[in-house]
Amino acid sequence: MEIFQSTITGLIDTSGFTGLGDIRCIIMILLSFVLFYLAIVRQYEPLLMLPIAFGMLLTNLPLTGLYHPELWDPATNPYFAPTYVDAGLGGQIYMSIFMPETSLDYGKVLHEGGLLDMLYLGVKLQIYPPLIFLGIGSMTDFGPLIANPKSFLLGAAAQGGIFFTFLGACLLNFFDLSGIGFSGFTLKEAASTAIIGGADGPTAIYLTSKLAPQLLGSIAVAAYSYMALVPVIQPPIMKALTTEKERAVKMGQLREVSKIEKVVFPIAVTVIVSLIVPSAAPLVGILMFGNLMKESGVCDRLVKTAQNELMNIITIFLGITVGATAVADNFLSWKTIFIIVLGLIAFCVGTACGVLLGKLMYIISGKKINPLIGSAGVSAVPMAARVSQKVGAQTNPSNFLLMHAMGPNVAGVIGSAVAAGVLLSVLG
Amino acid sequence: MNIAFSMLSESGSAIDRLQGLGSAKDQLSDPDYWGSVGILTITGILVVFLILAILIFFFWLMGTIFKAIDKSKVEKKSASIEAEKAKLAAEPVEQAAPVEEEEDVDDDEEIVAVISAAIAAYAEAEGTAYTIKSISKHKNAHARSAWSMAGLSDNMRQF
Repeated sequence: MEIFQSTITGLIDTSGFTGLGDIRCIIMILLSFVLFYLAIVRQYEPLLMLPIAFGMLLTNLPLTGLYHPELWDPATNPYFAPTYVDAGLGGQIYMSIFMPETSLDYGKVLHEGGLLDMLYLGVKLQIYPPLIFLGIGSMTDFGPLIANPKSFLLGAAAQGGIFFTFLGACLLNFFDLSGIGFSGFTLKEAASTAIIGGADGPTAIYLTSKLAPQLLGSIAVAAYSYMALVPVIQPPIMKALTTEKERAVKMGQLREVSKIEKVVFPIAVTVIVSLIVPSAAPLVGILMFGNLMKESGVCDRLVKTAQNELMNIITIFLGITVGATAVADNFLSWKTIFIIVLGLIAFCVGTACGVLLGKLMYIISGKKINPLIGSAGVSAVPMAARVSQKVGAQTNPSNFLLMHAMGPNVAGVIGSAVAAGVLLSVLG
Repeated sequence: MNIAFSMLSESGSAIDRLQGLGSAKDQLSDPDYWGSVGILTITGILVVFLILAILIFFFWLMGTIFKAIDKSKVEKKSASIEAEKAKLAAEPVEQAAPVEEEEDVDDDEEIVAVISAAIAAYAEAEGTAYTIKSISKHKNAHARSAWSMAGLSDNMRQF
């Protein structure tokens, strides 16, 4: 009887129920249920939102041991580099030197980490975002951009949201909000928050994992939520900034792009961007590698893998591990709320900047360019281009802007990767 | 571009110092904080524009070259076709087939029959009758046909 009693007591002690005393864990679990609803019922970017929500659920269930946030904090898991110092008389003394620059002990992660810790290595070591870009590159047709290179300008203008929000996040520090428990954004945190305006999930994860990994969960959830909400957020801004006459502009048919141009494009973009902003090379270079495989027409098997199996595997790993970083300590804070607000501002300003430059191009081109294609500059491929098409068709049902909007849309992918590279080169 | 990078490198040392301060509050109290934030914001957007402007120039140049190549190819092809025609015209033709330039679609009985049948089927379903007075091509030669428009609308419906 005593053995039975001790077994039951032991089971109760090691069960997750004992850890449910922390109300914050329960809130996080309930939040993951909200994300399940958004992914399954509302279908907000379900391919990533569902794994993120499940990762959030798993990491907040007590005692599961799948993810250990303390292993990813240099303060609790510092790295001591082994060094041998000459002790004279031909002997050497072993010393451990604290390495503040590379202070995370990956050996301890491998020895003590759980399943999600192992998978998180792909995020921490910046492996998954470039591999997602490989898949995106192998699926993207840069033809509309090559046919109309001016689209690059719209892709650049829409990145205005990133830098405006960076400034906004820094301005927020000007107000003393320590009374409500908000300690302010450091420069790295401000840059990571601002990158939401790029409307590009892998880029946001890539930059945040390098600059402010503690905010990864909040930023990924905000970025993917807003990307799913592009059809809701963008049209009112587009309509407010354009007249009906401007929205009704029919654009001339794009010229046909030869295969040689499509093959030269990824090589040239890689060389030019990597030479100017080397820190953007992991994203832009791999994006263009995927595109070259597709356009060359000689790597069909590799393209098929990059577009399907590889992309799907990485999407699962990326989603579930990013969700796992959303532990209560990091997520339930004022920073998350400000990230959500600033992320929305970044999206809106990015859209407005794109449309406003589109208006300028409409005037300069002699009313030949429809300003609605400017909003597609905020990456979010192909959703933003679809929104341009939809708003254009509402004004003039016989207007087909989709292919014209794809130019700024894919330029936005390159633009946001370049913007991330710039921020990384200065703050990284 | 050099100006942008020199601005970045100048602010770089201040930014490095700010990063070393750790907390947002300490960074804010640094006298170089706002200067560094401003320079990073302006230079950032400037560098993005400059890089994409370089790409525009490169691909505009590439497009111009390829358009010129295509044009010369088309010209060569049309010249060879004309030469072929001239060669054929020079040869005596005993029984030249009459070539009719059909501008009016009314003359093409097959098309008239197809359109009439489609309208008849539609009228029958609707319970009304139509009289076809004339069938002519759309004035705008580049406009999409009704079928093409219907197909495009169908494909775009999901968007």
